[in-house]
Amino acid sequence: MSENVNKTLTVTIDGIECICEKGEYIFDVAKRNGIYIPTLCRHDAFDNHRACCRICIVELKQRGRTKIVTSCVYPIDGECEIFTQSDKIREERAVLYALLAHRAPDAPGLGQMGTALNVNGVDRLVTIDNEKCILCGLCVQACSSLGTGAISTVNRGVDKKVSTPFDKPSVFCVGCLSCANVCPTNAIEYVETETTRTIWNREFELQFCDECGTLMGTRESVAFAAADVELESPIVCDECRKKKLANEMMITYRFV
Amino acid sequence: MINGTEKILVCCGTGCIANGALDVAAALEAELAARNLSGDIAIDVVRTGCSGECEQGPVVRFMPRDLMYYRVSAKDAAAVVDSLEGEPVKKLLFRKDGEFFEHMDDNPYYALQHKVVLKDVGIIDPLSIDDYIARGGYEGLKRALTMTPDEIISEVEKSGLRGKGGAGFPTGTKWRSAASYDEWPKYIVCNGDEGDPGAFMDGSTMEGCPHAVIEGMIIGALAIQAEEGILYIRDEYALARDHIQHAIDDAYAAGILGESILGTDHKLDLSIVRGGGAFVCGESTALMQSIEGKVGEPRAKYVRSVQRGLFDHPTVLNNVESLASIPIILREGGEKYAELGTEKSKGTKVFAMVGKVKHTGLVEVPMGTTLRTLIYDIGGGIIGDRPFKAIQTGGPSGGCIPESLLDLPVDFDTLVEYGAMMGSGGMIVMDDRSCMVEVARYYVDFLCEESCGKCTPCREGLRQMRKILTDICEGRGKDGDIELLERIGHMMQDASLCALGRTAPNPVLTTIKFFRNEYEAHINEKSCPAGVCAKLTQFAIDPDKCIGCGLCQRACPADAISGERKEAHVIDPTKCIACGSCREACNVDAVLTERRPS
Repeated sequence: MSENVNKTLTVTIDGIECICEKGEYIFDVAKRNGIYIPTLCRHDAFDNHRACCRICIVELKQRGRTKIVTSCVYPIDGECEIFTQSDKIREERAVLYALLAHRAPDAPGLGQMGTALNVNGVDRLVTIDNEKCILCGLCVQACSSLGTGAISTVNRGVDKKVSTPFDKPSVFCVGCLSCANVCPTNAIEYVETETTRTIWNREFELQFCDECGTLMGTRESVAFAAADVELESPIVCDECRKKKLANEMMITYRFV
Repeated sequence: MINGTEKILVCCGTGCIANGALDVAAALEAELAARNLSGDIAIDVVRTGCSGECEQGPVVRFMPRDLMYYRVSAKDAAAVVDSLEGEPVKKLLFRKDGEFFEHMDDNPYYALQHKVVLKDVGIIDPLSIDDYIARGGYEGLKRALTMTPDEIISEVEKSGLRGKGGAGFPTGTKWRSAASYDEWPKYIVCNGDEGDPGAFMDGSTMEGCPHAVIEGMIIGALAIQAEEGILYIRDEYALARDHIQHAIDDAYAAGILGESILGTDHKLDLSIVRGGGAFVCGESTALMQSIEGKVGEPRAKYVRSVQRGLFDHPTVLNNVESLASIPIILREGGEKYAELGTEKSKGTKVFAMVGKVKHTGLVEVPMGTTLRTLIYDIGGGIIGDRPFKAIQTGGPSGGCIPESLLDLPVDFDTLVEYGAMMGSGGMIVMDDRSCMVEVARYYVDFLCEESCGKCTPCREGLRQMRKILTDICEGRGKDGDIELLERIGHMMQDASLCALGRTAPNPVLTTIKFFRNEYEAHINEKSCPAGVCAKLTQFAIDPDKCIGCGLCQRACPADAISGERKEAHVIDPTKCIACGSCREACNVDAVLTERRPS
């Protein structure tokens, strides 16, 4: 296999000639060439894409055969033609939007997308009240790549959801909000008071900088980040730490 | 004259055990001991794997006389032992048209089969490695040990063997591909996570001849040069797991597994991983995730498992039945195996035939056998000689095939052209009292629970399909529902992440294709032609036909039927829950169904 790495190929996406390397994902090549493919579960922060929203499907024509593939994880392995907006793709994407919009009626934007794609028969579908989560799994990916692994998808089939084990407060959660921040539909709720933050049923104490009083995060998240680089948990924020260091250097090198 | 070489084979497959086979075996042993036939001149009672005709179990067979008894109970032990030298016990024999038949092959259920994978199942004691070896076991392995990996793979390629889990991918090609990667460790994995409703082919194979699976895995490991193998067996298959574990232990003790396979430099370790009970873990990539201890969700398969599978290493995953076919291919040669079957589907296939067919059980036939042969010649036709309506093949991934297609040869490719599939081998036969909309709803409901829920098309598509199908079954179907089901179904076929999702709409799409009129009747006339959907159906008794036997009255769980003996009975519609038990119970077809007024 190794002799094929870095082999340059020319493919066409929607009629536009694109240069790419063998093994590159269709989505990445399209993006580099300014061709928009919609997606809901792909994030640049991760190398491994879950490929679960299926919105980024495209039609691939290769060696006389046409098939539908998921562009975010399909490695281009030879010359081919790719269509991101064929009639078939538009139709199936429309159905997908309609399904997602009914799964998560409160997710911002989905409803409009469905309407824009003119999905008929929408009123026939069943909705889940107050649901915002589209189960893209980005929160789970964020949590596990941090090394905390506090949340996961649980249950199977139509009952699948994201949660902590047995919906109990997780001992591994540090309350860092990575999950909530990466969520494309604001589905992960948390409550903050002046001194606490509650997320995934667990209350965390907030930590403020000893010097300037800026919010640093929860005590657990500050300690977790420090432990990751084998440091003791800091008591001042990054800004104040830098200021302090600069001061010490000035004194050391007598710039004062 | 009894000389001690005789054996009494008692089928102790799961089905026969449920019908008391273990008691029968114990009673036979006690009877033999009482007659002093367990000492010097000993007659062995062999507890075998599934002999096939589960519906007629427990099945007992004398060897070498080949006397086959059906529906034996512990009470029959004395009579059965009496008949060792004398006249057969008539009431336990196979009966047809008033005649009695003694031998296994007198029964067309067995005579029309061609056993390759199951050749030792039901004959040997699955817990005895000596029994397996006595019938040629591990000969294939011995031959493989004299061959290069390339030669082994060529032999399998010559056989034309294709993945019998349902996908039909050529086994030789898969092995050759995995062998081409110079990266270790490599793994060979056996998929024993059989989960289709009504299917028990792989379970019976593992229970009845565990060494065949193990021998197949060792040969596969030699071919791809793997040194570790895992059998992933579903949690519910306790007996299969026990037998496989026993066989693994025996194989280690016999020097067949471990550091030195039969004294050579090759080594292989095998272990069992218990499935956690998720249907989706029968899907290859989800299965590997599960072995790795992760959530059983499939991944996109654009990079194949033979390159990056279990723990991101080259992995061959084969189904139980495929692996169990390997020993005989190596023993007798790939060409011999390829003599059976059709041009593109070689060899045999095991089916688990259940439903409204007279003889249910395990059947092995050459690929290309028609559904009609399976149902009518081997299965004996429909129970009560009612009209055939459909056969559901391939579990929740398969489709419903109507009578007009019964003469199609069953192989990997033909049924696919008609929107169904052979699948792993589950077959459910349905008569005219099956509602095809309800059947589709059943499978969609099953998959709503058993989809992994990772990708949108499968999870959300099934959710909406279940809602629409339930509406149709309960009289709330609307114009346009059929088209919407088709639209969602076609999207699912194209856009789902794994094979489960891509095939999940098959039961819906095939029933729409072949039984559209039933959908239309439900939606337009709010009636269920088969008289199954409770919200659309009411039951009544035809006073001219009713003989007043009282069977329906006893069967009714709601106490809704009344009537004097030998006089026509009546159903109280206010009490009736429309379950259909009375109709099932009635022997004279006196229970009528009609449209329930809305």
